[in-house]
Amino acid sequence: MFVYFTRRLLYLIPMLLGISFLIYLGLELTPGDVISYLLPPEAIADLKPEELMAMREALGLNDPFIIRYFYWLGGILQGDFGYSLASGVPISQLVLDRIPATLELSVAALLFSTLFGVILGSISALKRGSLMDNSLTVFGMIGVSIPEFIFGLVALVVFALQLEWLPVGKRLMPGYDSYWDHMPHLVMPAMVLGLIMTAGVMRYTRSSMLDSLNKEFIRTARSKGVPEWRVNFIHGLRVALIPVVVLIGFRLPMLIGGTVIIEQVFQWPGVGDLFVNAVRGQNYPLVMMISFLSVTAVLFASFLIDLLTALLDPRIKLE
Amino acid sequence: MSDAKIMMRRPTRLDKKFDLLREKTEQGTLKAASSNRALSKLASNKLAVLGLAFVTIMILASVFAPLVTQYDPQKVDLRMMLKPPSADHILGTDKIGRDVFARIIYGGRISILVGLGSALGAALIGVSIGAYTGYKGGWWDSTFLRISEVVMSFPQIILVLMLVTILGQSLMNLIIIFTLTGWGSLYRLTRAQMLSLREEEYVQALRAFGLNTFTICFKHILPNALGPIMVNITLSTAMFILQEAGLSFLGLGVPLNIPTWGNILNVAQDLRILQNYWWVWLPSAVTISLFVLAINFVGDGLRDTTDPTMQG
Amino acid sequence: MKIRFLLPLVVTLCFTTQLLAMPKNSNPLSDSRVRQAIAYAIDMDTIQETLLEGKAIVADSHIPNGPFKKPGLPKYSYDPDKARQLLKEANWNSSQELDMVYYYSDQLTVDLMTAIQAYLSDVGIKMNFRKLEGDVGAQLWTAPKDPQNGPSAVKWDLAYGAHGPLALQEYFSRYKTGDMSISPADAKVDSMIDVLTSTADIAAQKKIFFEMEDYMQTELFTLPLYYQQAFIYESNKLNRNGGIYGNPQYNYDWDVTKWTVEPDANGKMVMNTNTGPMEFFEHPWFNPGLFITNKVLFDRLISCDGGLAPTRPKMAKYYNLSKDAKTLTFELKNGLQWHDGSAITAEEIKWNIELALKVPNIMPIFKTTFSYLEGAEAFMNGSASSVSGIAVSGNKITLSFAQVDPNVLLTFTQWTPLPRKHLEGVDPAKFQQHPFWQNPIGSGPYKVKEVKMNDYLIMVPFENFHEGVSRIDEIVAYPSKDNDANLVKNALAGSLDYGFTKNVADVKALEEMDHMRVIPADIPYTRMVWFNKYAKN
Repeated sequence: MFVYFTRRLLYLIPMLLGISFLIYLGLELTPGDVISYLLPPEAIADLKPEELMAMREALGLNDPFIIRYFYWLGGILQGDFGYSLASGVPISQLVLDRIPATLELSVAALLFSTLFGVILGSISALKRGSLMDNSLTVFGMIGVSIPEFIFGLVALVVFALQLEWLPVGKRLMPGYDSYWDHMPHLVMPAMVLGLIMTAGVMRYTRSSMLDSLNKEFIRTARSKGVPEWRVNFIHGLRVALIPVVVLIGFRLPMLIGGTVIIEQVFQWPGVGDLFVNAVRGQNYPLVMMISFLSVTAVLFASFLIDLLTALLDPRIKLE
Repeated sequence: MSDAKIMMRRPTRLDKKFDLLREKTEQGTLKAASSNRALSKLASNKLAVLGLAFVTIMILASVFAPLVTQYDPQKVDLRMMLKPPSADHILGTDKIGRDVFARIIYGGRISILVGLGSALGAALIGVSIGAYTGYKGGWWDSTFLRISEVVMSFPQIILVLMLVTILGQSLMNLIIIFTLTGWGSLYRLTRAQMLSLREEEYVQALRAFGLNTFTICFKHILPNALGPIMVNITLSTAMFILQEAGLSFLGLGVPLNIPTWGNILNVAQDLRILQNYWWVWLPSAVTISLFVLAINFVGDGLRDTTDPTMQG
Repeated sequence: MKIRFLLPLVVTLCFTTQLLAMPKNSNPLSDSRVRQAIAYAIDMDTIQETLLEGKAIVADSHIPNGPFKKPGLPKYSYDPDKARQLLKEANWNSSQELDMVYYYSDQLTVDLMTAIQAYLSDVGIKMNFRKLEGDVGAQLWTAPKDPQNGPSAVKWDLAYGAHGPLALQEYFSRYKTGDMSISPADAKVDSMIDVLTSTADIAAQKKIFFEMEDYMQTELFTLPLYYQQAFIYESNKLNRNGGIYGNPQYNYDWDVTKWTVEPDANGKMVMNTNTGPMEFFEHPWFNPGLFITNKVLFDRLISCDGGLAPTRPKMAKYYNLSKDAKTLTFELKNGLQWHDGSAITAEEIKWNIELALKVPNIMPIFKTTFSYLEGAEAFMNGSASSVSGIAVSGNKITLSFAQVDPNVLLTFTQWTPLPRKHLEGVDPAKFQQHPFWQNPIGSGPYKVKEVKMNDYLIMVPFENFHEGVSRIDEIVAYPSKDNDANLVKNALAGSLDYGFTKNVADVKALEEMDHMRVIPADIPYTRMVWFNKYAKN
């Protein structure tokens, strides 16, 4: 087993190298460059072509492709993630600054959706075929059918602008001393994102619970006279939870992507917001690093999940 | 015990059914229920039928848009801007006086094209590669497996946004991008089906007859894996339609001069429109949601009919 | 300080017969009749009333209404029949499709493009529009190698955009042969530009402006669509206490030190605004007044009124421009300080001007002024270690110009010196990437207290400001670009006390809010359609 996991871990290296090259290649194909992000269009309209060229040269945008790629890769290996072309700030610092916001939002949405999803999914499974089950299923499907930004905007209008229960967006405000001060800002984006994700978890819980309720050992437990509630919640749920954990674990890095739109709606200064701005500005070191980091996160997360499930479930045996 | 006991029991409906079957068998008129069974099972799922009906209506309405509405979706009438629904304009007019209803109907053409086109594109690539390499195995199989792993490790929207910046914004590019980012799951699915089916006895028999790989793989194995593939295509269609809307929110979707549901909905970003002029955005929001919902119902129904283990 | 300068009249025109109404090359847009037809086809009055909600002025020249605009310029009011007739005369090929580009990302622009598309299609011109992505500047303005015959180095036929220069000359100076991607060489235009950019005599300037406007508008080099106003918005909590209103895109005597805000529960006066830094503070040598930070963190040598006419010395005790407009003298006030408490010296100003000469992206009008200094060329090509035209003695700076710059005073109303101590040794090409721009130290009425990049910026009064300490205790700036996408949301939520916008849809929403007031300001800002008149490959 140890050998297997070491091999899987080593296998990540060529994979990541390949990905980094592809990302770089792709970004090289993008039209334009960071100049157009540095300056507003009217300003560019006032610059002469040779001035633009001089700026480009200074930013190292005229070196050959392969040299730039290896230059960048070499930097990463030495722990230097490069600098944002727009501000000259180290990318590591830019991303690190944004990670707490995204992490907060994702974890909150994840907790919310897990809690809700598992509870509702279990209810659905236990009351299979009931009105409750059917309406939950339909609600879940409606939930995933509404474009998330509309969901967000409507929530914003209702809860922030009309009822004035919650702030309209943003994260930290002047005068927030304690970590918990900004929690009201978190509620809406986390709820919206969480609700969108709930449906998936609910569905997954429901089917894996149905699956495990039919399993031999449940029948055995039942026949041994274990009370019904115990059968359902201790035996059924525990086994059903493994795939749910898998699902959640796998979604964690995916949340980097999932937060992109919600962060835009709620002016939440997270990695998704940074990414969208970087993409719009062709700030390629930044785009590359964020993409690279998110892929890395996904790969390591799936590795960890594999490891975890293997350790958790004694039925899985490896060579 | 039993014959007597059965006779004593009151005949149930099931008994009658079996009697009928026996009768037919004896007369030799019993035919094998083929695909009808899946269809009839689908037909018994009310939500799926409802979904299918809605999807069909929307597709027909978009295709035959000129028959559904007399208005040109691009016809600008600045003096008629932001008029509420009336007998003339059943869903009112938008910010430059275009008929909202006409825009939604015509917008459906593009949105459905993007959704379905991308899903079919992804299916074409994913299924053909998956079927062939899954059956053949070996070097090609592991290469494509790696490639699909690379593609699928990207958070979807990050990959899409990256490709949008590389290829630029256009309708065709968006379909290409969705296809490129979406083929992975269909490839995996098909490959897994192939892996299990290729060990079946009938396949071994075909191989023994000397049929070529291509025929075995696409003509004899693939049809048996079609069920899950169909389900995946419908669900991908729904996902792509939603993604198109999300991208237009970020201003990175189909160019804004082409009416799509996402582009029509995009005006909701203007809070004044969102709060005061519901008819400009709400109908397209409802249309997208209903359409996606309907497709999901159909997909679910299909899943239930094709997957015997799903008893939910 | 009255400027009198005799103008050498160089405008000698070689036209005897007007052969204007002819295509100059294979591109139909080189035919003025086609361009005029496009102008006649578009109903700007209706667009102004509906789409622009009455919040714009239909344009009939680049130059906004005012003393520099010739009365009675040719107008192209909506007349589709005339448009069709002109197209017929010009043998317009109705199967040709014009490619129109724009670079704004707001919905209003798309709506406007759609409306224009509909108007053009009505007279038989097919037009399709697309948004430019990526390197917008290069795609718009790359000039052809051969400025006479082309072919065009840009792909589009029509481009929608705006020009909002600091000085009116800039509206036209960009049409100079070789600088422009869209207009084949025109000796008449060149000679007029030469005069415009080298005379400080108002009457002479005016004369050329009139000629230029007339020529441009008759020929329709470019189609001016509408003059855009800027809209200043303020919450009812804010009081300028007599401070004037003016062009919010630049700096003027707005007396921010006198402003007050209704105190909050703690008795503190806090003004909330936008355009705070997102990843870095944009340096003030490019957009000197677009962002709140550049407005209040930095001070200027000369002050000006709301229309940007120089009025009085500011950091300077006095200033004097010689009669020939070639020598400008400043004396700095005593005891001027940077926010870190160190002194601002005249020697530092010299260093700043020399640095500015080497920074590639600075406002064009600054660049022009500084490059006209004696010895500037020698300094830039490396043959001199300093600019000979800048002399410093004590607190006094004397600038000697090799060439007359009509906008020299305007430059010093907007340009700001920066502390040498913190920027010593900066690579001019990476000026904006210097760590200084993460937390700048300036000379203005407010200084940075706390930067929480992406969240907020807090600025507090600078206790040693030479015109007195400001009354508002804190200016809190939330990150946004100059066109704030979240403006309406944040204004509704009451978290905006001051700002300005050019987005008329947002203005309408702001006007509907009881707690906000909107003050329109006339600014030189003209939205136009550029015609690419070069032959295309």
